[in-house]
Amino acid sequence: MSWRRIRTLIWKEFVQISRDRAMLPILFVMPILQLVLFGYVVGSDVRNLNLAVLDQDNTVQSVRIVDGFTSSGYFTVSARPSSDAQLKDALDGGQAVVAITIPKGLGDAVRSKRAAQIGVIIDGSDSRTSGVAAGYAAGIIANLSNQFYGTGGAAMTAGGVNAQVRVLYNPTMRAVNTMVPALLAFILLMSTSNVMSQAIVKEREKGTLEQLFVTPIGRADYLLGKLLPYTLIAVAQLTLTFLVGVLWFQVPFRGSLLVTGGGLMLFMLAALGIGMIVSLMSRTRQQAQQTSMFLQMPQMMLSGFMFPIDALPKWLYLLTFLIPLRYILVIVRANFLKGSSFMELWPQFAMMAAFSIAIFLFGLSRFSKRLAD
Amino acid sequence: MRRILAIARKEFLHIIRDKRLLGVILVMPLIQLFLYAYALSFDVKQLPTATLDLDRTTASRQYIDALQQSNYFLVDGVLTSYAQVDKRFESGADKVVVVVGAGFGNDIAAGRAGNVQILVDGSDANAAQLGSSYAGALSRVYGAKVVISQIEQKGLNISGAGGLTSSMRTWYNPEGISAAYFVPGLIVVLVTMITVLQTANTLVKEKEQGTYEQLIVSPISRIELMVGKIAPWALIGALDIIIIAVVGILAFGIPFRGSVGLFALSSLLYVICTLGLGLIVSARATSVDSANQLGSLIAFLPTFMLSGFVFPISSMPPVLQWLSYLFPARYFMVICRTVFLKGGSAAVLFPQIAALVVFAVVIVVLAASLYRERA
Repeated sequence: MSWRRIRTLIWKEFVQISRDRAMLPILFVMPILQLVLFGYVVGSDVRNLNLAVLDQDNTVQSVRIVDGFTSSGYFTVSARPSSDAQLKDALDGGQAVVAITIPKGLGDAVRSKRAAQIGVIIDGSDSRTSGVAAGYAAGIIANLSNQFYGTGGAAMTAGGVNAQVRVLYNPTMRAVNTMVPALLAFILLMSTSNVMSQAIVKEREKGTLEQLFVTPIGRADYLLGKLLPYTLIAVAQLTLTFLVGVLWFQVPFRGSLLVTGGGLMLFMLAALGIGMIVSLMSRTRQQAQQTSMFLQMPQMMLSGFMFPIDALPKWLYLLTFLIPLRYILVIVRANFLKGSSFMELWPQFAMMAAFSIAIFLFGLSRFSKRLAD
Repeated sequence: MRRILAIARKEFLHIIRDKRLLGVILVMPLIQLFLYAYALSFDVKQLPTATLDLDRTTASRQYIDALQQSNYFLVDGVLTSYAQVDKRFESGADKVVVVVGAGFGNDIAAGRAGNVQILVDGSDANAAQLGSSYAGALSRVYGAKVVISQIEQKGLNISGAGGLTSSMRTWYNPEGISAAYFVPGLIVVLVTMITVLQTANTLVKEKEQGTYEQLIVSPISRIELMVGKIAPWALIGALDIIIIAVVGILAFGIPFRGSVGLFALSSLLYVICTLGLGLIVSARATSVDSANQLGSLIAFLPTFMLSGFVFPISSMPPVLQWLSYLFPARYFMVICRTVFLKGGSAAVLFPQIAALVVFAVVIVVLAASLYRERA
């Protein structure tokens, strides 16, 4: 092993990257694009849901009900059907995802303090909205009931249980605050494993691997010369993502750079290992890309990155323990928002370290074996 | 026509002899279908919950039992002091802590409201949102039950008390089966990925392998070449749609309430759009690599993110909402959901179908002109 040779190899790698027109977009455009899209699309809170209103009452009270829905910011009126059939069409055609029907005589009932009921119909074909919309609607109606009848009027709300719900660490429940820390790990995984596998396969595709091995460069030199540049690039990408997240998306960072950074570095071993494994399984760059995409899908779905894993069927839930992304997500989210230290997060660190090192060593051993052949 | 068939046959042979490609086209959609159908859900159940019972009475235990029985909360820790709360959250062991205040039992027995505090970890925004609303609602329901039983014990009638209530109904998928949400949308995503990515490759590949010159010196015209090349992919796209739809209906019990003809027509229009998009990419791209990059960008991001597949378009920033109108996936997504779950008629879906027609015409004209000029 010689440091001079490794340095030359690193230099070669950087020159190659800077001249490769297909590589540059993956390295710099994709992370930003992912950050913006995930930040704004996945991180968007469910708001401005399209609401269809069928108001058969047309009184002050019915108008106040509609106001109650729209002023919450969760609903915007997108259709005003005048019959049940039109209401059905609005939901069928996707113009509205929630509909409320206010029956005739509601205003009279409210004025004379009799019980009144409005109908709420939720489009169950849309997962994200149906759960949340039901919660919003129930809250708004409870609120309106208090306004119309006074808190004492409805016997239901007087005694019983006074539950005070407090949300800690992220009181407004901003989804971006959950998404951006996770994106640090996700972009690291995507980009590092992708770029790593592409770089190796490319060398094989072009036949330059043989040329390298007739020179005095050893296997270890070659590996270090390959790994180090991509580690540096990953660090640059992480810094960029971190800064955009904190400065542009205004995600509070309450943890320590040591815990987040250390965790991500450890996780990077897994990403590099996956990259090497992909490169072993593929002969062309197109195959490498397809294989990466194929491997990314389950990691995205089963790590808790976008979808909660607590509700998964048992057999799928057990599978999530095998995905290193799962552990790093807990670490970065907890460290970012809750300031959790290494003391609280050591089980995740231990699991992740074990998996990352195992994946990395497996990739490395198979890779050097392949090189030796 | 004979020449088009010859090209189509050649393309078919390419596909059939590439084992890996066949796997990508036929096996991957199925694996993804199963994965999505099980995993793609924002629903939160069994949230890990710790309790801090400062009251220790029958009433407080009954309240905690009521929360646990809802299946939304899984009590996995019993705390003895406030000091432990932070640690439970910071280590991520629990997402909810329910604190029952001292005197809860006495208050309830005296007809006053018993105090509880529900602390929710906001670092997971989705879980926090659902968890806090479930906890609030369950507490209200439990409280109401207590009050009613107390009033009834006193022999009073409560039916006179007024209040505004709602009858809440969920249409189309009342059981909230997550497969029913996602299988119709998955058709859009998978078909787009396969057709755009593969047709994006076709022209560039021939150029890179040098077989393109051979085709050009043959009597085949550019347009014949184009049609011949995309015809097999149109068939494969249709095959994928049928596979996903049939597996969705048979294995996951997804309803199909609309008209098959309407679905077939709009699928055809949509596949024309995606094949055209692939051809445009292929004509513009300089290498197989950049065709792949551009293709996956166009195939994946707009269909997954901006079509309303998982994330509601109406909640996005306006710029992204406008952007979503520029991709045909958005319209086909509405059509798929509607024909599967809602069964709407052609009249209801007219705007979406009209949009697809416009897209299909524009994309095909653009692709054909680009092809003629570049190829």
